[in-house]
Order: sequence, then structure tokens, then C-alpha cells
Amino acid sequence: MDKKKLALSAMAVLATVSLAACSSKSSSSSKSGTSGASVQLKAAYKNTKATDKTATKNSTLKLAEPNDSPFQGIADPVLSTNAEDADVFSPGGDQPGSINGLFHTDKNFKIIKGGLANQTINRKAKTVTITLRKDAKWSNGSAVTAKDIEYPYEVIANKKTTSQQYSADYNAIKGMAAYHTGSAKTISGITFPDGQKGRTAVIHLTKVTPAMKYVGNSFIWSSVEPYEYIKNVPIAKLASSTQVRKNPLFTGPYKLDKVVEGESTTWSPNKYYYGKTPQVKHISINVVSSNNIDKAIQSNKYDFTVPNSVMHGTDYKQLKSVKNYKIVGQPALSYDYFGFNVGHYDTKTQKNVMDKNSKMANKSLRQAMMYALNLDAISKKFGNGVTWRANTLIPPIFGKYWDSSSKGYPLNIKKANKLLTDAGYKKRDGSKWRTDPNGKKLTIYFGAMTGTSAQAAEYQDYLQQWHKVGLNVKFTGGKTMEMNSFYSTLQAPKQSKIDVYAAAWGLSSEPTPTQIYGEDAVYNMGHFVSKKNTQLMANMNNSKSWNDAYRAKAFKQWQKYMNEQAAVAPGSFSYNWGPVNKRVKGFDMGAANNNFWTNLSLTSSSMK
Amino acid sequence: MWKTILRRFLIMIPEVIVLSILVFLLAKAMPGDPFTGSINPKADPAQIHHLMKINGLYDPWYQQYWNWVVHLFHGNLGNSYQYQEPVTRLIGGRAANTLWLALFTMILTYAFALPMGVYAGRHEGKLPDTIIRVYTYVTYCIPFFVILVIGIWIFGYVLGWFPTTGSISSDATGWLHTFGSRFYHILLPGLLGALFGTVNIVQYLRSEVIDSKHSDYVRTARSKGVPSKDIYRHHIFRNSLLPIAAFAGYSITGLLNGSIFTETVFSYPGMGLLFVNSISYRDYTVITALVLIYGILNLIGTLLSDIILSIVDPRIRIQ
Repeated sequence: MDKKKLALSAMAVLATVSLAACSSKSSSSSKSGTSGASVQLKAAYKNTKATDKTATKNSTLKLAEPNDSPFQGIADPVLSTNAEDADVFSPGGDQPGSINGLFHTDKNFKIIKGGLANQTINRKAKTVTITLRKDAKWSNGSAVTAKDIEYPYEVIANKKTTSQQYSADYNAIKGMAAYHTGSAKTISGITFPDGQKGRTAVIHLTKVTPAMKYVGNSFIWSSVEPYEYIKNVPIAKLASSTQVRKNPLFTGPYKLDKVVEGESTTWSPNKYYYGKTPQVKHISINVVSSNNIDKAIQSNKYDFTVPNSVMHGTDYKQLKSVKNYKIVGQPALSYDYFGFNVGHYDTKTQKNVMDKNSKMANKSLRQAMMYALNLDAISKKFGNGVTWRANTLIPPIFGKYWDSSSKGYPLNIKKANKLLTDAGYKKRDGSKWRTDPNGKKLTIYFGAMTGTSAQAAEYQDYLQQWHKVGLNVKFTGGKTMEMNSFYSTLQAPKQSKIDVYAAAWGLSSEPTPTQIYGEDAVYNMGHFVSKKNTQLMANMNNSKSWNDAYRAKAFKQWQKYMNEQAAVAPGSFSYNWGPVNKRVKGFDMGAANNNFWTNLSLTSSSMK
Repeated sequence: MWKTILRRFLIMIPEVIVLSILVFLLAKAMPGDPFTGSINPKADPAQIHHLMKINGLYDPWYQQYWNWVVHLFHGNLGNSYQYQEPVTRLIGGRAANTLWLALFTMILTYAFALPMGVYAGRHEGKLPDTIIRVYTYVTYCIPFFVILVIGIWIFGYVLGWFPTTGSISSDATGWLHTFGSRFYHILLPGLLGALFGTVNIVQYLRSEVIDSKHSDYVRTARSKGVPSKDIYRHHIFRNSLLPIAAFAGYSITGLLNGSIFTETVFSYPGMGLLFVNSISYRDYTVITALVLIYGILNLIGTLLSDIILSIVDPRIRIQ
């Protein structure tokens, strides 16, 4: 669970998905349960053996980061853009995905007390106050200060920054926009009641929303920057500086001993850490090719793979019954989906507009196309239990918000045919293809990204299923598309090359979907807009939704509506899973385990 | 000869300029840009546009090209978009890794292949020749990545004789330890590369040896009573090296190419993967820098081959 921002860039997700697809997906029995997966994985490994204190004190915990290329090496979550960096530097935070993180969370990613800092939201004054704990220190011994809370905003919003994190939501912080454009030298809306060296920063906003109660929201940045340590490095050069790459500072339980560029990191306990003392003496994290990660685990080389790193479904098949390992997992912060092109983006008004006459504007056509797909069978065929048909557009990791009762789109050819015929899409003159309601020829273009051979087989199955109900669906350009051209095509303000497409989203730990489905969202690539949709999304963060139950209901209503409209339809969910060696004790990758690293101990000095 | 070399160098200048323009244009012609891959729900398109703008990616190509040339002459190849660090530093680190591995592999390859080739040629048609021929063809037939995966599995994981990831162990300190650890890490990929990459050299050498064996000067030497050992050493071997010398220049400059397979399987950060990734991420600065480097190296390779040939064969002189 990535708590910073998005650990998963779209590309990382695509990689995951394309690779995971060769394998994963499962279950026709998606009633409710934790996830609808055929395999039930738990986020924690409850090792009942006793801790071997000498082994724990003297051993190195060996972690693998399965990846096919060297990691970039940016230890700073404000600047790094990819999941690998967040993984290999993860012992620098309380738990994976939370490098230099400010807050502790509950299992719903809601901010709770007890972390590096506490947060209070004042709805009346529209302020968010962040107060550091007294013993908050960097790994070089210097105190974490109020300025360190503020500096990330400067780095993110600086005109010359290389960070990609700035978004329009930050304009809600007073003075942020002025700083971003360069007209102000400081951010006036962030103040320090007891001075820059103090422990408190107050963020003044034009609005406060319930999203701010959750880590990973797009208003309040949730990590600190060591201002004193990096203040002399120009922000434009921060990402390439030694302070960020070679000798970065951390607030977490471990400090970095050494980083070998692109290959490995090694860690030892940070004696200035405020929390529980880490038990294991050393941690090493090595990049291991995903081609042979299964072999590496089978030969007892690693204690576990970094939580939430990318593991393929085919590996699950190889590893699920390895003697010395237990498989753990939790639903991923991502989902696959089908998008339909129903409009365009008006560059003048900067808003998405639905086109009533577009090819895919008919709701019945979209629903029929979804009912025609046999996603359950595909999961079964290519799945190893770690991916399954999705039922909504909120993944089950958000237990409170995920609508478990939703059925989604299971295979129903009969219904698909009926929907099409009723809507006027009929076969005329003995043709094998249906025409549109006006009797004109109908050819639908399917855009899909080039991936593995298994994924290619899945795409072929989609086409076959659509052909079965009489829809003439073809690949855009006659074949799958390379990732860059796929997104270039989709992101054009107006395009008619792709009518329906398969893609994936990686999510932040705060799931408000306005940035991808909102009226003014550039990433709303299918351009589905309706008053009701705008209203339903607004409900997630209106004044009533400070009430958790109301907010959960708002999310569920939105899911119901989106499913019914089928302009963006759920494809698949998957597990974030990994093998854990049975000598490891205290492993729990759940969001509520805020002491991930310090809870770890060993029951033996050997992995065998 | 020095004149020739100088002339060849001068010709290289326009070649490199044309090459660089072509590379620049082709790179920009690819769909997408360095930021296409970073779309996610929380990356604001406005910020992406801002980044595109400050990086000059909206400028016309000739302006971008000019900026790039100006920077180039200041020794600045730009920043990698993907790695967010100077291209020179990025390539420098990878090139060192690749050079190490490739040099080791090349030395081993020649060490295995030269004796095998001569031996096979000398015993043409006999059992050793057959064995060597079968060996080279078999190794040639198996795809290299299969060899690597099987190799790392048996020798790395099952037997545990060799390290399985990276170019150096993370706890290496001190000069000797660092050197030793680096060497230990390239041992297995180097050995596999050499043992399974001999076919060209062995086959060329073998057929050359067989040809030379029947040539007049060898017959003359034999009739004079020169011991057969000396004939092979002084007459046949040197002449048979000609075709190998012809591509030796390329293999020297090819040291920096890197191997995608080896680098992926052994998680070894090198030039091959860097190149492939930079293309899929549209990391323009890295792509152009690498293609330019490779282009220049190839031009130098041709020249080197010619020089080596003229040294090996006194009859050939570059005019």
C-alpha cells in the first residue's frame, strides 16, 4: 500500500498488468468474501515459532526486488516517479511505501495518532495543523523541524522542479499558486507558530475536504524533507544530488549504509528512530530479474520480496507450494478496466464533452459489450488465483468503500444479444454483423496495448466474444499498440481511432476518482460526463461526508452508477502478493501495521 | 599511413553530423514523449505540460537540435528524463560495468576459440575436429538467453557457486575486495558468454587453417624439412588470423554495446538495457547520446580493423 502518492505510475501498472496477465485472474464465485479471488491470501504471516534472539541480532534480512531493469536511485519520495525506488528505499520509513512518512494509518489508510507527526483539521478556520513528535529525528541525529514539513511543498511547486507531483488541488493551499508561478518567493499559506525550527506547521487552505483525513490525498503531502541537509542544493538539481542518491537521510527505523547504483541497498538500525528499536541487524535489498525470481526463492536466497513489488501470476504457480515459504497478499491498489470513447475534450473550456452521436454513445451497446465478455473464464484460464474479474471501479483494498454487493459484468450472451436487438442494433440482409440503429455498417475499434503472449490471447478472446454477439470489433490499426502510441492516441482531445480500450489505473491510498473521471479531468480519456456523475463524485467530499458512513455510501452510489452506465467498466482486480520465508516472524503488510520493519524478527539463522 | 588515418577522421565529422540529425529526428518521430509513461490519477497534466515546456520539448526540432549541439560542446549531454541525472554520469556508470564484462568475455572467447580453431583445422576430418565442430554448432543453436537462465539456475541457485545478481556485492569495501567482488560477479556471465560464443572465430579459423595447409608456401616449408609445429606456429597461424583481424576492430568497439539478455538475467546494470529502456521510455537525451556514441564507435571500429589488418598482413597498406 503506497501511502505517499502513487507508487505506481501508469507505466508501472501497465507492466504489472501486462505481466500479471500472463497468469493471473480467477474465480467465478465472486460473491463477496474478502475479494472475490479464488485464492484467499492474508496480508500477515503469523509465525508461531519463538524468535531466535541471537539469530535476529546477527543476521541480515535479505529482500528481493523483482524487476527487469536497474532502479533509478532517487530516495526522495517527492522526486521519485516509480515504484522501484519506493521499494528499495522502503526501510527508511515506518512501513513500505512510507519513506520519511509523517503519519500512521489504520487499515483504511485513515490518518491516526502516533506517527512522526499528528494532524488536526480545523473545518471552521480551514486549516490543517501538523505537529511533530518531540523526539522526531533524522538519521544523522538532527531534529525534524516544522520547515521540513513545509519544504516538500516548495520542491513540488518550484518552477524549476523536476517533480511531477504538482496538481491543481495544491492551489487550495493559500499562496501555493503564486509560489508555483514564481510570483511569490515563499508559500504564504504555510506558517510556523513556533518558528521554522519548531514542531508545528499550519497549512491554510481555501477549503478543507474529508479526503484530507486519508494519507495519499492530493492536498496534504505526507512526507518530510531534510531542509537543513539539502537547502544548498538548487531544487532543479536535487534529484541528481548525492544528498538524495548516495547519502540520503531518513526518519524511519533503518538508515542507509550503502547503495549500489541500480542494484542494491543495505541498511542498519537508525539509532535516532523515535519508535521501537529494530530487531534485525541488517537489511539488504537486491534487484532480482523477474525471469528468475521464482528460482531465487526456491533456492532459499531471500526472506521475502519487498511488499507490493511486482510478482507475476506465473510465479505464484511456481511458488505457492514451496516448502520454506508462506505466500502473503492483499488486494492491489489498482484495477484493469474497459473504457469507451463517448466524447471529446474541449481544449477551450478545458472540459470533457459527451457526443450524443458518437459510436459508443448508446448505453445498451456498451453494456452488451461488457456482458459478452467472458472475464471469469479468462481469469480461470490464464489465472493462478491472484487476479480475478473486477466488479466495480474501486478495488477491494478499500474495504469500506468497495461495493462488494455489485455484480459487475459476468458473461451473459443472451442478455447481450437482447440489449443489442432492443436498442436497434440488428443483423440485416443476412449479414453476420449487426448494423447501428440507423441501418449503417458498424465497425468498432478496440485499442489494446502490446503485452505478453497470454495477454494477446486474452485480447483475441475479447474479439471472439464480441463477434459472437454479432459486433464487428477489430483492433485499432489491425494489431495491438505500443504503449506510447496507445496513450498518445487516447489523450488526443478528439480521436476516432479507438472506440473501446483496455487499460489500467494505479491508485493512491485516497481513492476519490475525480482526477480520472471528472468533467475537467484530462485523464478522463473516454470523456464520459454527466451531471449525475459530477454530483456523485462531489458527494464523496462534501460537508456531509465528514461522516464516514455517509462517505462510504457516496462511494458505493458512484460505483453503482458507473457500472450501470458502463462508459468505464471494471476489468480485473489482482493481489499484491509475495513469498515470505518461514524464519521471518511478525510479517504484516497491511496498512494498519505502522511498525512493519520493527516488528520483524527471525526464528532461525538459516532460511532452509 | 598517419595521413590516411587523419583523413579518415576528417571524413567522420560530416558522417557524425548527419548521423546525429537523423537520430534526433527519428527519436522525435516516435509517438509519445518522456512523460507519456507517467500518467496517473494524481499527476496533473498541467504539471506535465509545464515540465515539457521547461525542458524545451515543445520547441521546433531544429531549435532543440541546436540547443543540444551547443550543450554538447560544453560537454553536457543533458539530463535523463527517466533517471533524473546527467546523461554523462548515467552512461559513465553503465559503460564501466559493460566494459568490464565485455572485455572479460572477449578475452575468454579468444582464449577458447583460437586454439580450438587451429586444432580443428590441423586435424581436419578426424575425431577432435568433429567434436569441435559439433560443439560450436550446438552452442550456436541454443538461444543465448536459455543458456543464461539455465546457467544461473544451475551454477547460481542450485550449486550456489556464483553470485546471481548485480555487478558487485553490497558489502564490498576496500580496493582488493571491490575488485575481487566485481570479478566474481562477471565470472559466470563471462564464462557462459565465452563458451557459447565461439562459433564464428572457430569456423573462420578452421577453414583458413585448412586452406593454408594446402597452399604452396606450406608445401615448400614442409619439403625444406621445417618441423610441423613451427609451420603451424609461424606460417599457418598468422595467415589464418586475417579474417579474424578483419572484425577485431568491431569487436573492440562493440565492447560497449552490452547484452540485454545478460543484463536482464543477472540484473547487471549495463548499456544494453539502458538503451532499450531509454527507447521505450522516450528518454530522448539518453537515446541520442547512446546512438551517437555507438555511431562514432562503429566508425572508429572500421578504422581500427583496417589498421589491425595492415599490421597482421604487411601486404596490405592503407594508402
